[in-house]
Amino acid sequence: MSAVRERMLLSGNEAVALGAWQAGCRVAAAYPGTPSSEILPAFLECRERLGGEVYAEWSTNEKVALEVGAGASMAGARSLVTMKHVGLNVAADPFFTLAYTGVGAGLVIISADDPGMHSSQNEQDNRIYARHAHVPLLEPSDSQEACDFTRLAFEISEESDLPVLVRLTTRVCHSRTVVEFQVSRSVRTPEGPAVDPAKYVMIPANARARRATLGARLARAGQRGTLDDLTVEQDGDGDVGFITSGLGYQHLREILPGVPVLKLGMPYPLPEDRVRDFAERHDRTVVVEELEPFLAESLLAAHVEVEGLPEWLHEGELTPSRLAAGLLKLGVDVGPGWTGGEPTPKPRGLPPRPPVLCPGCAHRAAFSVLDKHDVFVTGDIGCYTLAALPPLCGLHSCLAMGAGVSQAHGIAKAMDGQQPVVAVIGDSTFTHMGLPALLNAVYNRGNLTVLILDNRSTAMTGGQDHPGTGATLSGEPAPAFDFAAVARAMGVESVHEIAIDDLNGMDSAMTRSIAHDGPSVIVVTGPCPLRYDVRAEPYRIEPEECILCNRCLRIGCPAIGLTADGASKRPVIDETLCTGCALCAEICPVDAIERREEGDVHA
Amino acid sequence: MPENILLAGVGGQGIVTAGDLVAQAALIAGRQVKKAEVHGMAQRGGSVVSHVRISSDGPVYSPMIPDGHADFLIALELLEGLRWTWMLRPAGRVIADDRRVAPSSVSTGSAEYPAQPEKPLAEGGLVLPATQLAGQAGVPRAANVLVLGALSVHLDLPAGAWDEALAGVIKTRHLETNRGLFRAGRDLALERLNRATDG
Repeated sequence: MSAVRERMLLSGNEAVALGAWQAGCRVAAAYPGTPSSEILPAFLECRERLGGEVYAEWSTNEKVALEVGAGASMAGARSLVTMKHVGLNVAADPFFTLAYTGVGAGLVIISADDPGMHSSQNEQDNRIYARHAHVPLLEPSDSQEACDFTRLAFEISEESDLPVLVRLTTRVCHSRTVVEFQVSRSVRTPEGPAVDPAKYVMIPANARARRATLGARLARAGQRGTLDDLTVEQDGDGDVGFITSGLGYQHLREILPGVPVLKLGMPYPLPEDRVRDFAERHDRTVVVEELEPFLAESLLAAHVEVEGLPEWLHEGELTPSRLAAGLLKLGVDVGPGWTGGEPTPKPRGLPPRPPVLCPGCAHRAAFSVLDKHDVFVTGDIGCYTLAALPPLCGLHSCLAMGAGVSQAHGIAKAMDGQQPVVAVIGDSTFTHMGLPALLNAVYNRGNLTVLILDNRSTAMTGGQDHPGTGATLSGEPAPAFDFAAVARAMGVESVHEIAIDDLNGMDSAMTRSIAHDGPSVIVVTGPCPLRYDVRAEPYRIEPEECILCNRCLRIGCPAIGLTADGASKRPVIDETLCTGCALCAEICPVDAIERREEGDVHA
Repeated sequence: MPENILLAGVGGQGIVTAGDLVAQAALIAGRQVKKAEVHGMAQRGGSVVSHVRISSDGPVYSPMIPDGHADFLIALELLEGLRWTWMLRPAGRVIADDRRVAPSSVSTGSAEYPAQPEKPLAEGGLVLPATQLAGQAGVPRAANVLVLGALSVHLDLPAGAWDEALAGVIKTRHLETNRGLFRAGRDLALERLNRATDG
């Protein structure tokens, strides 16, 4: 029976999911993180549309996800684990040792890097992790390769008895390009975990023995990488040859479609004979890659004579125009149209439009109350980080998942309790890494207030479920995590639970918590209006009653703005944006903001 | 040479969907096509851009439009239109909704919204009351489809491809209204073209 062939426009993330489905991947785990978040939902959609035994979960963090994948692989199920680049920092502990144990069935780890930091706190290049951990690395340049390489990664993982890392970047994850594929899936039934202590029990004696086999296993993967489906040579004109991998290949081809190129689908381990042979056949060899000079350094260390991109291209997102400018700098003839001059200067002086908390966002109320208290606020990773921007200016740090709680504890210890500190953390982030941080603060008799903003959603990444929402990734009901009960169980004596519309209750809970000698936890609950589609009748500002104090503008709601009519600017509410959350009405000192009554004329 | 379409607007306006529609229509018409955008933070009311690249004579390589190579700038908001005109080729064309959405700096009075933003956009371009017309049809969020109707006049894609793309992306209960808005946008652009030719 010949399988059906299809042709679709897929994002890189959807293509990864499809490749995993084709490979017969059975278990997938992840913690959401831009730009990787869509892979697991797309994987479940493959099951809906195409069938197959498929399990996928939102794990509580990337380390847990990788260990779930490791267990499933031990049991003989092909497994996929996906994360954003910084997630691999969290998962680094099992990642390194997994190279020692190796796998049962294929284990593929997707790292979605974010050059240019569109939605991230740093732009680390995770290809370096592959070399550091001795794990084979694949780097697709479009959705077709994202699908094909993912499928191949499972085979390479099994052939080499190693996990395989697939590095994507934002523009591979979130670009849609054509994928041709067969609707067919390899099927295998997991045989169950083998009792094999020498392989799976990494006590020093066993780990030393496994370390000794790592080189040979990696070499097997490297051998596979030299084949033509991964290492692609394209002939061309000119004395300069180009070695490239990932999206850099597409940008290079955009600028110089006719030059000789060696594209490495597996940048680690390097297909050394092929790169050496290629470099020897060209007068000059230039390496094109995004972020760190990973390939260039590896090639130079292997005594292959190459030139890397200028240092200013080691940061920020690579684009066709930036690459052209970099090649020009190296003296490469990039041809007409790429002279490197500014085509049209970018406009100056336009007001920027940074992302903001949505209208009706539950976090806004918490920050408007917190603003009344003279405290240092440590922040965390999530939508609420946007409160750092004007006009709220509501938090003073953002470092890593869960870091705000530990930083607050550190500040309080350094100041011997003389500096009141509030750590603001979201519900999902709290389950990810806030739990051990809070336990640490309780155990060490810390003096801080932890404000858990529970909007029942992993909101920033698209509103995914987590242990607090009472549902799993596939929509099954699950026990809902009780933040307050867990805080009490950890030994926190001062615990407050407040609904988002109880501003006075929130204020008094903050006053009491900040004054409390010891750790306090305040759980503020208000569902994400975007995810749960929370909407009530909109509000309006009565012009006759408004005293123009502009207090409502300082909560930073996108639905409230100044009118531009004539000289007298006054605040107005855009009723199409207003979700009726009532926060502005609550804080208005003269009660000039009222809910629009049914039948009111639209002002 | 690919035709390059840059779509710009404010998070939540349907820029990503508009880009999907163009790319899908091109795919259905048998063209080479790539599309790029950024999800995540950008969706929270921030600036959003989507790149769509279409070719009928050879591959599209980079999913990103090189600086100064956009043939069309589709703007669903005037300030966002102004922000991206530098990406246009010298003969590039703007099609913009005349909607204004104040960014937070303007709402709070710390910055001014540019004066007469439609003026530079209308030079060699088309500024339409897309949100207003879509609102009159009961679906203000479908302004993106109206603007695409105007774009369709300039792209060599068969009507059937657009229609199939709409049917694949738009929810069934809104499909007929969206088809009407697409035609309205198309008619407005044709009218403008005819006027230009007559004049």
